[in-house]
Formats: sequence, C-alpha cells, structure tokens
Amino acid sequence: MRVVIAEDSAILRAGLVELLNLRGHEVVAAVADGDSLCAAVREHRPDVSIVDIRMPPTHTDEGLRASIALRAELPGCAILLFSQYVETQYATELLADRAGGVGYLLKDRVAEVSDFLDALRRVAEGETVLDPEVVSQLFTATRKTDALAGLTPREREVLGLMAEGRSNSAIAAALFLSAGSVEKYVSSIFGKLALPQSEGDNRRVLAVLRYLES
Amino acid sequence: MITRLALPGRVLGAQLSRAYWGELAWVIIGAPLTLAFAVLVVLGLILGAGLSLLTIGVPVLIGVLAGARLIGIAHVGLARALLGTTVTPPARPELRPGLWNAVKGRLGDPLGWRSIAYLVIRLPLSLIEFFLVATLFVYAVSTLSYPLFWFTLHGEAMPTFDLRVDTWPLTLPLAATGLAVLLAMPWVVRGLTEFDRLLVRGVLGAEDLSKRVRDLERSRATAVDDATRRLRRIERDLHDGAQAQLVALAMKLGIAKDELAGDGDIEQVTALVTAAHANAKQALVELRDLARGIHPAALDAGLDVALSTLAAGSGIDARITVDLPSRPSPSIETIAYFTVAELLTNAAKHTSSAIEVDVGIVGDDLRLVVRDGGEGGARPVRGGGLAGIAERLATVDGGLDIDSPPGGPTVISAEIPLRK
Repeated sequence: MRVVIAEDSAILRAGLVELLNLRGHEVVAAVADGDSLCAAVREHRPDVSIVDIRMPPTHTDEGLRASIALRAELPGCAILLFSQYVETQYATELLADRAGGVGYLLKDRVAEVSDFLDALRRVAEGETVLDPEVVSQLFTATRKTDALAGLTPREREVLGLMAEGRSNSAIAAALFLSAGSVEKYVSSIFGKLALPQSEGDNRRVLAVLRYLES
Repeated sequence: MITRLALPGRVLGAQLSRAYWGELAWVIIGAPLTLAFAVLVVLGLILGAGLSLLTIGVPVLIGVLAGARLIGIAHVGLARALLGTTVTPPARPELRPGLWNAVKGRLGDPLGWRSIAYLVIRLPLSLIEFFLVATLFVYAVSTLSYPLFWFTLHGEAMPTFDLRVDTWPLTLPLAATGLAVLLAMPWVVRGLTEFDRLLVRGVLGAEDLSKRVRDLERSRATAVDDATRRLRRIERDLHDGAQAQLVALAMKLGIAKDELAGDGDIEQVTALVTAAHANAKQALVELRDLARGIHPAALDAGLDVALSTLAAGSGIDARITVDLPSRPSPSIETIAYFTVAELLTNAAKHTSSAIEVDVGIVGDDLRLVVRDGGEGGARPVRGGGLAGIAERLATVDGGLDIDSPPGGPTVISAEIPLRK
C-alpha cells in the first residue's frame, strides 16, 4: 500500500516508517502537522493515511480536524486515526459521514504488528475499524435507545465485535460460536436495526454507526 | 513612665516636633481646602441630579465622581504627609467592556462616593478645628504681647479679646495663661486631628478585610492556574516523552516477535532489540526527569541536600548555605526549592561567576537570597519568570524583592512565612 503518516513524535514517525517498509508498504510522505498532512494527501492520493490526533500547534485535535476536512474534500479517502487516548467524541465525529474507510486505534495497538497492519489494510479497503477500547467506552458511554433496545445481550456482543471491524469468522472464534450462528446473529441485527440489503452500503459499517449514534 | 524632670523637655520638644507642625498645617490648610472642594462637589451633584438624568446628567455625575476620587486621593496623600496616617484607598472597580458596564463601573466607584461622604463630614469638623485653633493662637499671641502694649491702650480692652487689667503687673499672669495655651497647643492639635485620622481611615481607607479577601482570591486563582498548568505540562511531557518511547519500544519488540515466529533474519532481530533497548532506557530517563520535576527525591532529605543536588546536577556554579534550626513544612520546603531552582536557572543565564544562595530564618519567615555578579538590570516582566515566582510566592503570603542595579550585582530575596 501507499501510506501517508502524520505524527509529530519523531520516534514514532520513524518507527512507523520502519515497520511499514519492513512489511513491504511504501510510505510516500511522513509529516508532523495537519496542514502538511492535507498537502501530502492531495499530492500523493495514498491508499490510506495514519494520522495522530494531537499535533502542533495546539496539541488538541489538529489531526482530527484535518482528517474531517480531507474527507469532505476527497470522499472516501481512507484515514486511520491514531491516538494515545480514547476520545469517543472524536470517533463519532470522524464516523459521521458514514462513508467507511475510517479507523480509530490506540497507539498501543501498534505493538501487535500484524493486527495493526491488518486494521490498516481493512481501512484502506473501505471498512470501519474501531479499537476495542473505543468500542467498550462507547458501550458504557452512550445511553442505548430504541434502536438497540431490541437487541439481545448476545447480539450486542456480536455488534461490539463488528464495530471493532472483525470478520464473521473472527467473531465466531472470539465468542466460541459456529460461523453459521454468527451469520444468524448478524442478519438478525441488521433486521432489528432496519438495515436493508443493498449493494452500495457497507451494512456492517451502518450497523456500527447506528449503534454509535443512538 | 515619664519623670517630672523630663516634662519641660517634653513640652519644649513637642513645640518643635515635625508631627505637631504637620498636624497644624493639616488644620490650617484643611478648612479652606475642604470648603472649596465641598462647594465644588455639591454644585456638581446638584447640577448632575438637576439635569435630565439619562442624557447629560450621567456624564456630569461621572465627572463629579472622578473629581471626588482625585480629591479623595489628594486627602489620602495629605494625611500621609501631614498626619503620618497611611491608608490604602479602595480599588477602582474593574471595568468590563460595554457602555452599560462602563457607566455602572464609574458610577459605582467606591472611592468617589466615599470622598463625597468624607467631604460632607469633614466640612463642619474642619471649620470647627480651624476656628478653635485660630482662636487659641490669637489668644496666646495677644496675651503674651499684652505686657508690651498695655501702655498704649490707656485702660482700653485689648483689640482681640474683651480683656483688660488695671495695673501692668497684672498683665503677667494673663501672659502666663497665654504661654500655657501656646505650650499646650501640640496636645490640643493632636486631639483634634485624632478625629481626622479616624475619619480618613474609616471613610477613605479600604476595609482591610475586603482587601485581604481580594488578595486571597487572587492568590487562590494563581494557585489553581499554576496547578492546572503544571498538570498539563506533566501530561504533555508524559505523552511526548515516555509514552511515545514505550509505544516505539512495544512496536519494535512486536516486529522482532513476528520475525522470530517466522524464519527471522537474526541480524534484523538483533537490530530491533537493540533499538527497543535504547527506547526502554530513554523512557526511563524521561520518567526519572519527570518525577524529579514533580517532587525532587532529594527534598526528602532536606532543603540543603536537595539544593546542593540541584546545583550539582545542573552544572551551575553555586555556593549554597542553608542555615535552618528545624525543618519547615513539606509544602514550604517544596516552594522554597522550586523558587531557588528558578532563580538559579535565571541567574545562570546572566552570569558565569559563582552564584551565592543563602537560606535562613528571619523572624517568622524563611528567607532565601540569591546573589549573582551578572550585569544587573533584572526586572519582573509580566508573564516572565520572576513575575511567575512572585505570584507563586504570593499564594503562601510570601514576597519577592529584586535589587538589581544596572551593572550588578543582582540580589533577589524571597520571604516565605513559616506557618505553624
């Protein structure tokens, strides 16, 4: 993949470049602030960008602002947000455009190299990937309303794992279920959340969003 | 206990004392001054109230209050110069933006209104004082000189008072009463001005308590801001330092683990582990520095140990003398430590010669003195290091004194009250 990295910590930036190169990806630009990120993405059109949320000058949410601006300008441009902390607010803002191709991971996840690269690849392919930590916080933070009230605890569990961007087989493995029963749960969730079968939408992403917005 | 023998000396001394002449001047200047001011202010008030309130009356009132404020300040100055009474006038209310707030702020100026009240009370008082003192003086002067011009009057009463005696020798006791009055004047004047002192203090002086509350509010705000800023800095240091190092470390170990699980190239794994090892050591350094910034471990052993450790560790050439009979409370020690640390860093920027640091007890205060032979000219700049130190000291009622003439040497001393 062709990747742009925006991270103000030199150590981490170098580490990410090294990791991606080692695994055969091409880092087309490595920058340290939001404006340079926008410029680099416009210029290189990468498959995916890894963006740190806190960057100069204010070290609050520059990365997020730049990402939202980029996605408004270039729909479907894939962004993996990368942060030291979980900010559910940020996750919901980023997911608001429902286009998929976004991710939100804690920096610690990079220690699990293959999982991290897997998440990066899925974001590049247009899926939505959320850190398990983000998901569990969203679970506790949001007051679930009617849409989700109808879900059984088991279905919620499945939805949570879906929000993490896991495939059906991975969910089956995590919950010690057969692939078939996961299928059933998933279609039951889609039914309860009134998500129609359609070509254009990524139903899994929509389910997660429905869940986030409720 | 004053002996009788000293009385003549005291009486004579009182005639010449500066305080007496100051009080006398206060009484004599006071009457015409107060009269003129009171007339002006009352006219202004009548004018302001008489005019339509909403158009031109308000500006006139504001003008009168501003004038009254100046009069008040002038009286505070006079009281300090002539009566030796020092009061702090109430502060002007802080003006918030907006026309209405500006008008409200100006009309609510406590010193303006207090000055008007002061003038109103002071006016009769000053006139009474003035006439009383003038009468007594005239009496003293006329009776004292009576023996000299008794011959010229041919039995008529003296022109100032309806007094006459038939024979010259009898003028002497009268002159003696005049002398007694003259000599007693310092005590009379003192008694009269005592009222004025009360008046100035009570009406023109800000209540000490409300001032204290304001000071405390301000220093509390400083303390809260300071703590917030410090926490934010710690968080930033952690985020940019140790946390980033540890993430990089975990990432390198993760790659190495993957390499080993496959048929890893041993050289690459070695390089990764070496880099991870460096990250781990760097993270340790960052954490240690951060912890030291939060609470220097050497402080547990006392200020002297902490300060010498600080000087040794920073490579600053400092001679540190700590002379404390007992250890102050941990919070005082901490604030003293960081004060010296900042002053040392400051001083080291401006001089290459040795810096002297003395820590001792003066009265009920812990006193720190930092002396350097730099070029001098140190000034507290708003938002600068010295101003920051002074603000932080204010949170524990301490103060900073800067003596830095151009050309040096610079001597900065801080005092921190030792509360039990």
